[in-house]
Amino acid sequence: MARRILFVLMLGALLQTPAFTQAPSVLQPGTSPLIVFRILFTTGAAYDAAGKEGLASLTAALLAEGGSRSMTYQQIVDAMYPMATSVNWQVDKEMTVFSGTTHVENLDKYYALLKQMLLDPGFRLEDFTRVRDAAVNFIKVSLRESNDEELGKEYLYNVIYAGHPYGHHNRGTLSGLQRITLDDVRAFYRAHYTRANLVLGLAGGYPKDFDTKLAMDFARLPAGTSDRKAFEAPAAAAGTRLAIVTRDTRSTAISLGFPIDVNRSSPDWPALSVAVSHFGQHRSSNGYLYGRLREARGLNYGDYAYLEYFPRGMFQFTPDPNLARQQQIFQIWIRPVEVATGVFTLRAALYEYDTLIRAGLSTEEFEATRQFLTKYSNILTQTQSARLGYALDSRYYGIGDYNSYLRDALARLTVEDVNGAIRRHLSTKAMRIVVVTRDAKPFEEAVAKNTPSPIAYNAPKPKEIMEEDAVIQSYRLNVKPQDVTVVPVERVFE
Amino acid sequence: MSIFAARRVARRDLVAVAVIAALALALLYRSQAAGETGSGNLFPYAYFVDDLPNGLRLVTVPTDYPNMVALYVVVRAGSRDEVEAGKSGYAHLFEHLMFRGSENYTPEQRDAVMKRAGADTNASTNQDRTTYYAVFSKEDLDEVLAEEADRFQRLKYAEPAYKTESLAVLGEYNKNSSEPLRKLNEVLYQTAFTRHTYAHTTMGYLQDIQDMPNQYAYSLEFYNRFYRPEYVTVVIVGDVARDATLALAKKYFGGWERGSHVPAIPPELPQMESRTAHVDWSSPTLPWVAVAFKGPAYSDEVKDKVALDLLSDVAFGSNSELHRRLVLEEQKVDELFVDFANHPDPELFTVYARIKNANDIDGVREQVLSTFARFTTDTVDQAKLDATRSRIRYSFALRMNSSPAIAASLAPYILLRRTPDTINKVFALYQQVTPQDIRTMAAKYFTETNRTIVTLASKTGSQ
Repeated sequence: MARRILFVLMLGALLQTPAFTQAPSVLQPGTSPLIVFRILFTTGAAYDAAGKEGLASLTAALLAEGGSRSMTYQQIVDAMYPMATSVNWQVDKEMTVFSGTTHVENLDKYYALLKQMLLDPGFRLEDFTRVRDAAVNFIKVSLRESNDEELGKEYLYNVIYAGHPYGHHNRGTLSGLQRITLDDVRAFYRAHYTRANLVLGLAGGYPKDFDTKLAMDFARLPAGTSDRKAFEAPAAAAGTRLAIVTRDTRSTAISLGFPIDVNRSSPDWPALSVAVSHFGQHRSSNGYLYGRLREARGLNYGDYAYLEYFPRGMFQFTPDPNLARQQQIFQIWIRPVEVATGVFTLRAALYEYDTLIRAGLSTEEFEATRQFLTKYSNILTQTQSARLGYALDSRYYGIGDYNSYLRDALARLTVEDVNGAIRRHLSTKAMRIVVVTRDAKPFEEAVAKNTPSPIAYNAPKPKEIMEEDAVIQSYRLNVKPQDVTVVPVERVFE
Repeated sequence: MSIFAARRVARRDLVAVAVIAALALALLYRSQAAGETGSGNLFPYAYFVDDLPNGLRLVTVPTDYPNMVALYVVVRAGSRDEVEAGKSGYAHLFEHLMFRGSENYTPEQRDAVMKRAGADTNASTNQDRTTYYAVFSKEDLDEVLAEEADRFQRLKYAEPAYKTESLAVLGEYNKNSSEPLRKLNEVLYQTAFTRHTYAHTTMGYLQDIQDMPNQYAYSLEFYNRFYRPEYVTVVIVGDVARDATLALAKKYFGGWERGSHVPAIPPELPQMESRTAHVDWSSPTLPWVAVAFKGPAYSDEVKDKVALDLLSDVAFGSNSELHRRLVLEEQKVDELFVDFANHPDPELFTVYARIKNANDIDGVREQVLSTFARFTTDTVDQAKLDATRSRIRYSFALRMNSSPAIAASLAPYILLRRTPDTINKVFALYQQVTPQDIRTMAAKYFTETNRTIVTLASKTGSQ
């Protein structure tokens, strides 16, 4: 807890912005003709008022996909069109970022648009209606009815953070979105789009003094007061709990996880990164869990593990920056499996996870993963936009240059550090499981009666797998019947 | 004299040619282009094309991004090449099997090589190609290439591993199956094409996927046909020199034996009637309408494809009249986009619209159709055409922000012509397109008998 308070104090110091100064900035001047902007506000969905969930997100969407005071959105789109540019937005719990890249030949024209969109928004009702419809359809159709994996992953966050400021999806809730008015958006903009919350990010071969011009322009925002505050760990009642989301779908998606007291600023973050990469590196055939569930058994398309929030993982291989948070969860993502093998796969994931926390990493596994991560950080930061994004996140976490920080920390690690971090942070004490399926019954029966879930394969398996399966098929889920909830999909994100 | 037919294709000298100033490039070499008003190539990097006697081609693109290397291996095998009934999805299955070990590397040994290199490695398949990639530090090039060359030439998987991997493909089908657009596309292509293999999706039909475990022998045959040097182009982009990449390519791929297979892809017969289909979606969703016309194949010599490329943005892009009306003003549609990718054979020009209210399906479809019809008689505005050319130029430049991004941008063109030069040729062709050309091509392709319309709506109502 002391460390948490220290982190928040440190965060506060970093974000401290006296009213008479310009906003802080992260500048990465270079020679590239591509100029990258990342205009960051340290505010987000965790600051949505109760009953108005989705307000931070709608505000950002309206700025990036709406008109300014002097130009309609159509006029902005027309002006962007020949430059092939846009303003992209992303809202997370504690961060809102507007990003865009322009060729230096178009810098003045692009910046003139970006500036007025963020500093002089139009707040037109027709734009508001459109972006709110988009948010509603995102939740109702894209999330609930088109992508069982993301549905499961996001619902897991809802379950873990129930009653916490992180407890709703970044895009909001359906009821919250319906209650939000254009005046609410205006008020949110006035209160949160302030110099106290602003960090300017700029990279590329921009002209001399352009950064000064940027800072001067954004100094027009009100000074405001920083949104910074400590977000406590969620109340995580002991025991494993199972939430089943039912919908008419071909297969069964599974996500599980629990809150951890580790973020990128924590001393144990590098060690835990090694453990998690070893166990389930995102979209890699190198992960241990992937090897056991997909490669050895053919249960699904992939199985991974995470230490930080990583939305849209089915569409991308590297995470988006600027999703920095004080609170994170450890998460396992089991990609959809056949309905008949759902319970077995869940048991297998828990079994393999238990193996990890019991046995830790061998020296060989540790060395291989350390070497991988040392080099892989170059992959994560290979574009200017990513480097700028990571630098903004590093500023938030107070860790200096990300690549150097990670490389140095990894160089100092030992296998004992990693296994110690596993013992300190990974457990099954407060596991939360989310299953998206059309058939809740096998899961309920496995909980109530520990009904075995034997599996048959289409090809002979090695003895070692068969022996392991014999254990897995009856592996206890350790969920009390009263800790199982079944929710029809139309009830989630309400 | 080298036995390898090598040629160096250097970036053209910058000369002042005002007529094509809109494509004035060398965009990524700003310091060199400073003060120039002339033209270069859209693809701004010097590159080297080397052909090995066995038919394998190596394309090397040194860049000024330090340390990193992107290795892309483009195999001319896609679902287009799956000509036998009941055998859809095998090009994609091979994308999976290629990770199942080779003569000198077990899957675990391959993983270890990639892990030591800190590599980002994966693969993808579409109608026309399978693309394998790895991105890593330059000091690991030799080791990575040795391993990759082994699996392309000496893939080795036993039947049990084959059967297990076919289940991972089923898993991929499963994870995609909740997305309505996947089903819409499956039906669209099945309806529009009756002979050509574009009729089936790259993922393949579910029944064919479910039968894959029984087709071990066929899988070996598929590998034997297509995993041959004449089907493969190795693209290496990044902090590399051509001499070194060529030496490695000779060393690791030089002994690969040329194959003999020539796929007999049945040509699609001219469509003689408009076609429609409808998908009943079992769970709540928003309705979709897809309006498709058979379009021209890729060409960097004749204008059909490039003229319609330009029209796709003008007529249906983010600042089109139709977008303004349907998305911004009437707000009846929340997604409007075109798919008209480059393919070696004629494929579809498809406009997709997601409709907010099921009552508007007919009205939206009519607005899309009348937009197609309008451009068969009206010429596009010259200023809009110029703005679209500018957009294409800058969007290409903005994508080239890392060595892997450059390699990824190259891969589709490598499939089509096996050289980056086709990018420069096709963008030169864009400059020659007139409003009249666009009208001519619209009238040629956007005919009623060449059209397929597919709708999708929820059986249970639009949520």
